[in-house]
Amino acid sequence: MFLALKELKHGKLRFTMIGLIIVLIAWLVFILSGLGNGLSTLSAATIKNWEAEHVVYENGAGATFSKSLLSQSLQSEIEAQPGVEEVAPFSQAVIAILPTAGVTEGEKKVDTALLGIEAGTFLHPEVVEGKALDPNIKNGVVGNIILKDQKGYAIGDVIAIDGSELEVEIIGFVENETFNHLPSLFANMDFVRDYKYAAPGSNNGVEDAINAFAVLGKDVDAEQMIKAVDGVEVVTKSAAINGMPGYTAENGTIMMMLVFLIVISAFVIAVFFYVLTIQKTQQFGVMKAIGASNGFIARAIVSQVFVLSFFSILVGIGLTYLTAMVFPEEMPFNLDPALVITYGIVLLAISVGSSLFSVRRISKIDPLTALGRVE
Amino acid sequence: MTLSMKNVSKVYKEGESQIIALDQVSMEVSSGEFVAIIGPSGSGKSTFLSIAGALLKPSQGEVKIGNKNIATLKDKELSHLRLQEIGFILQTSNLMPYLNVLDNLLLLKKMSGKVTKQDEAFAKELLTGLGLTSKFKKFPNELSGGERQRVAIARSFMNDSSLILADEPTASLDTNRAHAVVSLISKEVKARGKAAVMVTHDERMLAYCDRVYRMEDGKLTLQ
Ligand SMILES: Nc1ncnc2c1ncn2[C@@H]1O[C@H](COP(=O)(O)OP(=O)(O)OP(=O)(O)O)[C@@H](O)[C@H]1O
Ligand SMILES: [Mg+2]
Repeated sequence: MFLALKELKHGKLRFTMIGLIIVLIAWLVFILSGLGNGLSTLSAATIKNWEAEHVVYENGAGATFSKSLLSQSLQSEIEAQPGVEEVAPFSQAVIAILPTAGVTEGEKKVDTALLGIEAGTFLHPEVVEGKALDPNIKNGVVGNIILKDQKGYAIGDVIAIDGSELEVEIIGFVENETFNHLPSLFANMDFVRDYKYAAPGSNNGVEDAINAFAVLGKDVDAEQMIKAVDGVEVVTKSAAINGMPGYTAENGTIMMMLVFLIVISAFVIAVFFYVLTIQKTQQFGVMKAIGASNGFIARAIVSQVFVLSFFSILVGIGLTYLTAMVFPEEMPFNLDPALVITYGIVLLAISVGSSLFSVRRISKIDPLTALGRVE
Repeated sequence: MTLSMKNVSKVYKEGESQIIALDQVSMEVSSGEFVAIIGPSGSGKSTFLSIAGALLKPSQGEVKIGNKNIATLKDKELSHLRLQEIGFILQTSNLMPYLNVLDNLLLLKKMSGKVTKQDEAFAKELLTGLGLTSKFKKFPNELSGGERQRVAIARSFMNDSSLILADEPTASLDTNRAHAVVSLISKEVKARGKAAVMVTHDERMLAYCDRVYRMEDGKLTLQ
């Protein structure tokens, strides 16, 4: 640490430049991770928020809600399976809502995900304003609060659904609930059914049609449930999230960029420190001649890289939070502190790890270099 | 016996040809002795010092520092031996450019663990003795060549090692300083019971030494 810090202090310009590179890399990594996190939240926050461990779809639906059609009457059968604690039905549709009731088309519509649940089940998120769903208010809905913050809707608003006779009334708001990149709008299952299957026969003859069941219970055996219940497919919650349209593609792209970025940064940082080390061959030779062990020099190098990277990454985090403040609110940017810490540690590990190249190099330096004969 | 070399040879192979840099050299230096080696350029003096200082393995012969045979030591033990037993004054001063004068001395203490108040006081005492009182906080690039060399000399005393090896320590000093430095080495050697070997071109410095050897074509003879 002694050597490392003294040298950092002495070579401010040089180390500031290297630090700057690490800052920029870190900044980019954090922005990307924030974007990735934002996108995946937008795509599946509602499912992610579920407490459930498993999701039951119609057999062959491939973990896609829109392809799955089940009868709610299966609920008791699923509940009877070993390990199952609670089961809740779920149904989804995409709707466009109009600003207020009675306004003619041409006004700005807002796309939302209409999610049917039973009032009082564990799928009902906590309301931050207003009240929760109530079977007695059949057309009452609970929406993502961004409908209020960004679109100007308020509790008590009665809103028309585009292309339908039906109207909904906003009775409450929830936070951080999005589905399929759209703000979630929770409604009573009966109401959603009325909306979705208004046309006769559109439910394919399935009584009390729903899309899927969320299943609570740590000890549920998916394989066994598939065998026991006719015509279903049971997947874990994370498989259900991956089944959301576009989720894997978006996440995959961002992940790929992140991985490349991190690999490239590993090389860049390794090369920088390697060049620095080679420049100091003579110095290390002298140190070895006067008795420094490889370990002593290695510790000096590694601690230097550690200090430099640590502070650069901190600056990178700071910059990321600053930029996050100027990003437009609609931008799917969501910095998760846990993610920031994880990537920070990954970057730190990578730069310290890449300095091991240099350490390998110094272990080969001949102390004779100090005599100025070996070139 | 602090340094004991028996029939030491060093052969550099360059392609087909061989350079015999040292040819059956023997020397013994015990504590309190100050020995000088003179000889023309390329005669093998630096090679001799490198071997005596455990920087270079001899092709033949036996080297003992203290009671340790350096042929039997591993790299780690060698660097420990250099740190604890040997004080080097190299042909060029070779200070760490980013450490000030005091820190350059204390670096040796850092290598073996902690720096104590006494270490710092000792470093200051050494530097003062070499006329560097006002330079404690200066960096090497702010010093003259001679001053840098004096810092290097102070550094070689820093670990109170039993063997001092100096490769032309006075090359970049004026006559007055050269006398001061060599007499200081001589005084240290006598007072602290060290053994010292100095390579020099400067005949005037030989008066301070107990014995003078001449190196010629890798052969060492007592004068
Ligand atoms: N690494 C090496 N490889 C090959 N030959 C070498 C090597 N080091 C030294 N020599 C040769 O060994 C001989 C002795 O060199 P050395 O450096 O010991 O001389 P020196 O007496 O210290 O000279 P000077 O007074 O100029 O410093 C020279 O002929 C030199 O060319
Ligand atoms: Mg020489």
